[in-house]
Amino acid sequence: MNAPDVQARLRAARGGRLTRGFATTILAVRMMLFDKAKFIGTVLGVVFAVVLANQQLGILFGLLQKNTMLVDNAGADLWIVPPNTTSAAPGQRMSTQLLYQAQQTPGIARASALVMAGTSIAKPGGGSEAITLIGVDLETMLGGPWNIVAGDRANLRHVDTLFFEDAQRDKFGGINLWSVREVGGYRVRVGGFTWGLQPFGPPYTFASLDTARTLVGMPTDQLNFVLVTLAPGADRAAVIAALRTAIPTADVISREDFHSLIVRNLLKDQLGVSFGTSTSFGLIIGFIIVALSMFSSVIDNLREFGTLKAIGLTNLDLTRMLMVQSVLYAAIGSLIGLGLVGFMAAGISSANLAVIVPHWLVLLTPCVMTGLCMLASLLALRRVRKLEPGMVFR
Amino acid sequence: MSATNTAGAIDPSATLAVRARGVRKVFGSGALAYEALRGVDFDVAQGEFMMLVGPSGSGKTTLLSILGCVLTATAGEVSLFGERIDTRKERDLPLIRRALVGFVFQGHNLIASLSAVDNVRLVLEARGTPRRQSRAEAEELLARVGLADKRWNRPGELSGGQRQRVAIARAVAGAPPLVLADEPTAALDAHAGLEATELLLEVCRERGSTVVVVTHDNRIYHLADRIVHIEDGHIIDAPQETP
Ligand SMILES: Nc1ncnc2c1ncn2[C@@H]1O[C@H](COP(=O)(O)OP(=O)(O)OP(=O)(O)O)[C@@H](O)[C@H]1O
Ligand SMILES: [Mg+2]
Repeated sequence: MNAPDVQARLRAARGGRLTRGFATTILAVRMMLFDKAKFIGTVLGVVFAVVLANQQLGILFGLLQKNTMLVDNAGADLWIVPPNTTSAAPGQRMSTQLLYQAQQTPGIARASALVMAGTSIAKPGGGSEAITLIGVDLETMLGGPWNIVAGDRANLRHVDTLFFEDAQRDKFGGINLWSVREVGGYRVRVGGFTWGLQPFGPPYTFASLDTARTLVGMPTDQLNFVLVTLAPGADRAAVIAALRTAIPTADVISREDFHSLIVRNLLKDQLGVSFGTSTSFGLIIGFIIVALSMFSSVIDNLREFGTLKAIGLTNLDLTRMLMVQSVLYAAIGSLIGLGLVGFMAAGISSANLAVIVPHWLVLLTPCVMTGLCMLASLLALRRVRKLEPGMVFR
Repeated sequence: MSATNTAGAIDPSATLAVRARGVRKVFGSGALAYEALRGVDFDVAQGEFMMLVGPSGSGKTTLLSILGCVLTATAGEVSLFGERIDTRKERDLPLIRRALVGFVFQGHNLIASLSAVDNVRLVLEARGTPRRQSRAEAEELLARVGLADKRWNRPGELSGGQRQRVAIARAVAGAPPLVLADEPTAALDAHAGLEATELLLEVCRERGSTVVVVTHDNRIYHLADRIVHIEDGHIIDAPQETP
């Protein structure tokens, strides 16, 4: 009898890592698909987490967007705001003196005033509805109406003409283009409509600076904000510094910083906590479902895992198998979940609430789910790693 | 063929398929400790088809597990084909199993989600056979055990005897020099049990594999080159009752 070349066999078994990796990957997929009920259950766990987390975040981003949309769409690079401002809302008034000081600062293309005040529109049948009136410099149109669905911006040149929110037409007593209403005791006409411009407070309504001041009884030497655009090639930081020196009585803030300031302030209290809770809830439930079904799948197949160990698969091989399964669960669940989220976002979204799922969130979701599934598989993994290959003889 | 054939070799341990000296295995510790193997000396010559018999609880499975590197001995020396395995680290054992040992279990222990071919292929690829060869080799092996037409069936679609034949094909896939079987006929009727053991004997002979079969089944004793008796964790020369 020829002695087997033990060393050669050991060498062959030690090599072939790629073959073994490939074989165990396929095996992982086959085992995962074999128990269809468990497979579907696990995928649904991921789908649940994806849908709940994305829906909650989508609504949160929608709510945040309501509060930042003026800053995002005003067209200003810099905002000059009253001290301690944390939102783009009616508040402390400032002198038009600031506007002239800003206009003289080098590096600035344009600077214009923005007036913002709460008032109300009277309804024909009695009663009234609150609105947020925004007075815009018609030369620059900074802070001016956007998302216009009817009417021409030029209509605002008529002293009595306003742009209203389309979604509020019924609420305002069935207004149409050129309907006549009363705002702040003055007779006004509807010159156009915007869509979806509804912040947390009353809906935005636009007028020229002069009209707005008249309607809310603001002296012509007052304003709420100064909106600034930078000259091409101007150094933003230098301009901000120059403005701060020139106007020590107000804050100067870039559009991006103002945006994050608003977001931070909203997240700091209720919004952050409540949406953080519901998003984590979705992730935790998903985590538990995935962890339990992967664990029970390992328990169901304990003998098979023992056999795999007995035929010489290493803990690393088996770990890789569970990781392959985790990644697949995450990928399939994310795909289905994001599809559902897209569907739901379209269904829920209205002028009143946009469900916003940004691209980065779509890309982040499968990554987070992969992490979540891998973490969830650790329980199953622990069981598999502790498994004695000798159990196959029991 | 017997262990004495190799007595004249310069290094006897190099030519024995299995060489075990003073093997002890204690399960548990303290008051619950139980010594399942109490100093076992055990040799198997290369190419031998040997049967290990003994009463229930005598330590057969324990000994087979140690030889198959799925269990480590508490004390003693164990070599497979001259390669000491008792001194190996636990994490080297899977490698030794892949390289040297094929198993046939009492239950067939096939992977339920894989076809017969893929069950055999898995072991071939674990032993390092490249994917492009493994399929043809697996199909050939299944044809050899008489399952050419059932090769794409999953274990759930095979009879008990057919499953055990797939298990035999899997055990000898990649021609491991040592094949270990623990009561391979226990789940089969007398006829199927005899057939399966004959098949195991033939395919192992063809490949030159050494075989240790643990069995209670005296209807297959006549197939053995040699029968070793174990009782209470000791190998005994003269059994209480001859088979
Ligand atoms: N993991 C374990 N923990 C504790 N005791 C064990 C363990 N495995 C085996 N034993 C004990 O070791 C002794 C030998 O067991 P073993 O399984 O080797 O017997 P066996 O000869 O294979 O018996 P059978 O013919 O019934 O399969 C038994 O008394 C058993 O209870
Ligand atoms: Mg046993």
